[in-house]
Amino acid sequence: MSHLAELNESPQLVGVEAVTRRFPLDHNFVSALDRVNLLVAPGEFLAIAGPSGSGKSTLLNLIGCIDKPTSGRIFIDGVDTSKLTATRMTALRREKIGFVFQTFNLIPVFTAAENVEFPLLVQGFSSKERRERVAAALDSVGLSARANHRPDLLSGGERQRVAVARAIVHRPALVLADEPTANLDTRNATQLIDLMHDLNRRLGLTFIFSTHDQRLLEHTDRIVRLTDGQVVSDAIVSSTLKSQTPNEGASHGQVLTASV
Amino acid sequence: MGKFLLLAFRNVFRNRRRTIMTMIMVGGGVAGLLLVGGFFARMFWGLRESTINDGLGHIQIFTAEHFNREEKHVLDTGIENWRQVAGTVSTGGHVRGVAPRIEFNGMLSNGIKSGVFMGSAVDPVAEESLGFTPRLAAGRDLETKPSGEVEALIGAGVAHSMNVKPGDGLTILAVTSDGALNGIDVQIVGVVNTGFKEMDDRYLRITLPSAQRLLQSDRVTNLVVGLDKTESTDDVAASLAPRLQGLPQQLVLKKWIDLAAYYKQVRSLFSTIFVFLGVIVFFMVLMSSVNTLLMTMFERTREIGTMLAMGTPRAWIMALFVFEAVLLGALGAIVGVVGGNFLGLLINHAGIHLPPPPGTNVPMSFRVLYVPSLMIGSSILVIVSLALAAILPAIRASRLQIAEALAHV
Repeated sequence: MSHLAELNESPQLVGVEAVTRRFPLDHNFVSALDRVNLLVAPGEFLAIAGPSGSGKSTLLNLIGCIDKPTSGRIFIDGVDTSKLTATRMTALRREKIGFVFQTFNLIPVFTAAENVEFPLLVQGFSSKERRERVAAALDSVGLSARANHRPDLLSGGERQRVAVARAIVHRPALVLADEPTANLDTRNATQLIDLMHDLNRRLGLTFIFSTHDQRLLEHTDRIVRLTDGQVVSDAIVSSTLKSQTPNEGASHGQVLTASV
Repeated sequence: MGKFLLLAFRNVFRNRRRTIMTMIMVGGGVAGLLLVGGFFARMFWGLRESTINDGLGHIQIFTAEHFNREEKHVLDTGIENWRQVAGTVSTGGHVRGVAPRIEFNGMLSNGIKSGVFMGSAVDPVAEESLGFTPRLAAGRDLETKPSGEVEALIGAGVAHSMNVKPGDGLTILAVTSDGALNGIDVQIVGVVNTGFKEMDDRYLRITLPSAQRLLQSDRVTNLVVGLDKTESTDDVAASLAPRLQGLPQQLVLKKWIDLAAYYKQVRSLFSTIFVFLGVIVFFMVLMSSVNTLLMTMFERTREIGTMLAMGTPRAWIMALFVFEAVLLGALGAIVGVVGGNFLGLLINHAGIHLPPPPGTNVPMSFRVLYVPSLMIGSSILVIVSLALAAILPAIRASRLQIAEALAHV
């Protein structure tokens, strides 16, 4: 039984169904994604890998509901996002998804704590609850001592950890990270990978990230490879996921490839 | 909400140089309006007080007939029992005094040359008690002489055309209340410079008894009431009106503003100029701020994309930009109010004089009044202007495609 076939039988957090995304280019269209299918179960730590221009970021944008597919459907936690109004789509992003960006994208005039607080502010959490959650999130990324520093006083690694804290503070179902280690040196990149993996294991958060960073791929449970907008492989590479999915045949380090 | 406002506040100071430049521009507009408006207000105040103190008074009392029909003969619409009326009015609150007047006209001659005059007859004591002193260019004011010698003040233009000076004599001719022609010799005791050339070319003033003798009438044209302050005019007029009912002649009260046609014309003209100036400042701030705020929006495209990705409602993004603009406008207004008042203080201390306005020959002092309503109005004007300027950038920001915004470099 293939991995995806097994996943189909378990509750899915993300479902990508024959999704195509075309962008206008001069008088033609270029396909960034071409009939892509993907299923992601809760608690997965999944990498979308591929060379530049393969469609990694486009796929993440579509899963993150910040872009719309030209055709096909995307399900988040069982909800068909193509049927959502703009307002409900915003609410879905706000409540269910956390984002980590390659360039950190922190609000420069806010302190680390205020940046982490922002998603809670948007969701209307009380001041007391915001304070508690921000403290816990910063603690979980090891930045409690830097809570009152503005982004320009933080290192790249610290900024990205603040971004991770911001992405998880409202306890989303899914965290999307677009090339999160691309702007980090090896030491900071390794720390970030360990941090995300730890959060995945400890809190059961689902991480989907795009990367072509081999360091990150080495720590990943499942790798989906894209080339020219198409999935060319979908493989479990660690035992972590095995214990969470019915894929009994997969062993640690064994590469399984499933056609999508 | 507090954090959201804090974000707006910090964003305003994100690019300090640009914020300072915008504040200076907005503040300059406000300061300009304050200085011009303050100068106009001082000018209106000065014109009002000089109009009143040059003899118009705060309230004038006429017979109703004076406005209902043309006089067949001089003073036939005048006030008959004016001493009783003056006595009644004098006892009112805020009233400093009452001065009777006769307005008449006729011809004057130096024996060689003749000309027309517009004459007024006054009680010099009553006039002086109200502070209505003519602007003498030479000689002295009128005095009531029991000897019966008729004294006269003439305008500078009359003196020039008749080639006379204080101490010289003139003959004046006028039609009496019976329609007959009467004449008296007057001695010129002073030459008056009213500030208006047309007036100076026709001006003649004699005492009330002299005029009544010339015109063969005991009536007066009107009674001029002087108050302790101009602001009391409405209240006093309201309290006097019922007290003048039931007299043999129907009397009407005219407030100074009803009679000061020149003041109203000047005020209307300069108010229009000020409104026009306000419109220019409004659009100047609007157009230059649109550009600045659009630049801010473009610079923060990725940040806005991030906020939208995190589920920030688009209305919040709009509100953020509008609030930032309002804040910027308020700060600019504060700069303008402080700067404008400081400049006004410097100007007032400098003692600058402007050339005489058209129609007058008296230099005008350049002084600026501090008008709170002007400060509030100018501030609201620039804040509204900036809020409107923010609408386009705010709409653009709120409509950004998130994926494109996040890829913005």
